[in-house]
Amino acid sequence: MTAGAFPRTPVGRIDRKRSSRPVVRPLVIFVVAVTIAFFAVIYSRISLDRTAFELQQLDREIAVEEQLHWDLRAEHARLQAPDRITQRAAELGLVYPVDQRSIEVTGVERGVGGPEDRLTDLRALFTEQP
Amino acid sequence: MSRTSFRFGDLRVVALGLVFVLAWAGIGYRLFQVQGADAAELAQRGFDQRVRHETIPAKRGTIFDRDGVELAVTILGKALVADPSLIDDPADAAAVLAPVLDADYVELAKRLDGDGRFTYVARDLENDVVADVEAVIEEADLIGFSFEDAPIRIYPSGALAAPVIGLTRSDDGSGIEGIESVMDTELAGRPGKRVVERDQAGRAIPQGEFLLESAIRGSDVILTLDRGIQFVAEQSLQSAIDATDALGGSVVVMDPRTGEILAMVSLPGFDGTDRSTLDPASIRNRAVTDVHEPGSTLKVVTVAAALEEGVVRPDTPFETPQEIEIVGETYTDHGSHPSVMTVTDIVAHSSNVGTIKIQRQLGDEVHYRYLDAFGLGRPAAIDFRGEATGRLDHVSEWCGPACSASAAIGYGIGATTLQMAAVFATLANDGEWVEPHVVQEIAAPDGTVIKTTPRTRRVVSAETAETMRSMLRGVVEDGTGYRADIAEFPVGGKTGTSDKFDVEAGEYSETETTAWFIGIAPIDDPALVAAVVLDAPQGKLADDTELKFGGASAAPVFAEIVESALHQLGVAPVGSDDE
Repeated sequence: MTAGAFPRTPVGRIDRKRSSRPVVRPLVIFVVAVTIAFFAVIYSRISLDRTAFELQQLDREIAVEEQLHWDLRAEHARLQAPDRITQRAAELGLVYPVDQRSIEVTGVERGVGGPEDRLTDLRALFTEQP
Repeated sequence: MSRTSFRFGDLRVVALGLVFVLAWAGIGYRLFQVQGADAAELAQRGFDQRVRHETIPAKRGTIFDRDGVELAVTILGKALVADPSLIDDPADAAAVLAPVLDADYVELAKRLDGDGRFTYVARDLENDVVADVEAVIEEADLIGFSFEDAPIRIYPSGALAAPVIGLTRSDDGSGIEGIESVMDTELAGRPGKRVVERDQAGRAIPQGEFLLESAIRGSDVILTLDRGIQFVAEQSLQSAIDATDALGGSVVVMDPRTGEILAMVSLPGFDGTDRSTLDPASIRNRAVTDVHEPGSTLKVVTVAAALEEGVVRPDTPFETPQEIEIVGETYTDHGSHPSVMTVTDIVAHSSNVGTIKIQRQLGDEVHYRYLDAFGLGRPAAIDFRGEATGRLDHVSEWCGPACSASAAIGYGIGATTLQMAAVFATLANDGEWVEPHVVQEIAAPDGTVIKTTPRTRRVVSAETAETMRSMLRGVVEDGTGYRADIAEFPVGGKTGTSDKFDVEAGEYSETETTAWFIGIAPIDDPALVAAVVLDAPQGKLADDTELKFGGASAAPVFAEIVESALHQLGVAPVGSDDE
């Protein structure tokens, strides 16, 4: 048997097969990475949009709450209106007492404090209101 | 045959090719136009369609009373708008909407009829009304209507202090009367700006909104008014107007120590929330715009000046006949009194003759100087745009003895209710005039507080002021002002009655007067001053006293207001342990 009788080993082909593996792997990794990046970008974009929608919703809720706040304050002031209270009192048959006497209660401060004391709560309200 | 058919086929191919070439050329040309030549303009048009520059309205500041109760507040309401070009039957739509909007049918139908694309149907709709309107629109299947957000200025206490608080315009919300107008810059705030990207339906696209400038809420204005005292003052004055058939009236209640106005009433008034019944004549604040001759209430200036200058003392006697003639003009006293009276008696009995004699000793120059120092002839307060200056001619323009005599008893001089309240407040405040004001402070959203600092000036000494208060007490105890007396509190004051000048006739009216009472309470430790004016009160009391006199009509109003106000302020009555 001569050397030529042996089938010739396709050395180059074997080499080509061996050398193609490291070329495919990075390609696959690259494709997978790109795909992941693509989905990550999509996801982040969606979550950004979702957050934006949530923010918009919160803004709307704040606006509604603010409106409610002012509506309630206006209603509170309306309910306290002296004209309304007088009318209600008249409907209920309430009248001023004929005989009035002033009783001085010892230990109780007269009045409700100076203007500064009186406005302290009011100023706190100003800084907190929307 | 085959050559002919080849030719036909060839022609068809050529024609088809030509069509394709032309079509592609057209498309290419259009593409070039869209993407090349007109690209910038088209891009801008598209941008303009979805991106809008919007103004963010600033919330108007709130007006509070001195206790922090809202007197004027802005809430978010709706405005009903329509596109008339979409409305098929304007008359039918108006018939459906008019009742629920409480609007005039004819005017509404007229507004809905036309080719325009936009019209306001109703403004200032609160949420409950909006719900009703929505239901009606849905039920009647009306098209072309929609709602827009619109701020509404409401006045929770209704007509209370309306001429002081004022009004805002219903379209742009700016102030047009009263404090709303004077403090408009502070209340209005500053609108913001934003860029918003909107979709076809007009909805804002998330992340497509960019804030350029935030809106800054308007400052809040805290008034010196006390809602409780204001209410009592309005009720009392209204009762008096009803009882006397007066044309109107005004009241000012102020703290003489600080110049703070606790109540300011002008009747007839109005309700700023209900504009349907608004009468232009009732919008003005009579307490600062209407000028009257103060009559006998001005005698306090004559007497205080004479005391301060040492011309007279409280016990200086004067011969006081019932009448006196000066340059052909006869001045008479109402009611009988002793023929000799001291200065104190002259004030108590409101003697014209006695006061004219005191003025003669004082002299015109000095008298004028005190009239000016007490604030007559110039605006009295800080916070009222358009406040009347009153009338005080310079002494060099006085016509001689007749003018001097008239000035001594409050004729020929014009003053507002507020100016006269400030005169008495000066006496109550130991002779120091304090500038009246209705704005206590302005509170900005950033927490900055600007307080009102009123001007002050010394007019008479504390001693003279105390002497005058003692005399004013005598007016209520033994004189013309006895109807102003209050059992629980010692008060003092001065009545005044001046004949109204009939401009058309060019002479003083014989039937119509301006009735005054201005007083101080409590007289020994003044906490407040109240001035009451009734315009042309008519009728008589049970004892036949004519109501045209200040002592009969205005004095009881003072008593009613002051008694309640002192209780509300926590002032201890006479006889309590606190006294």
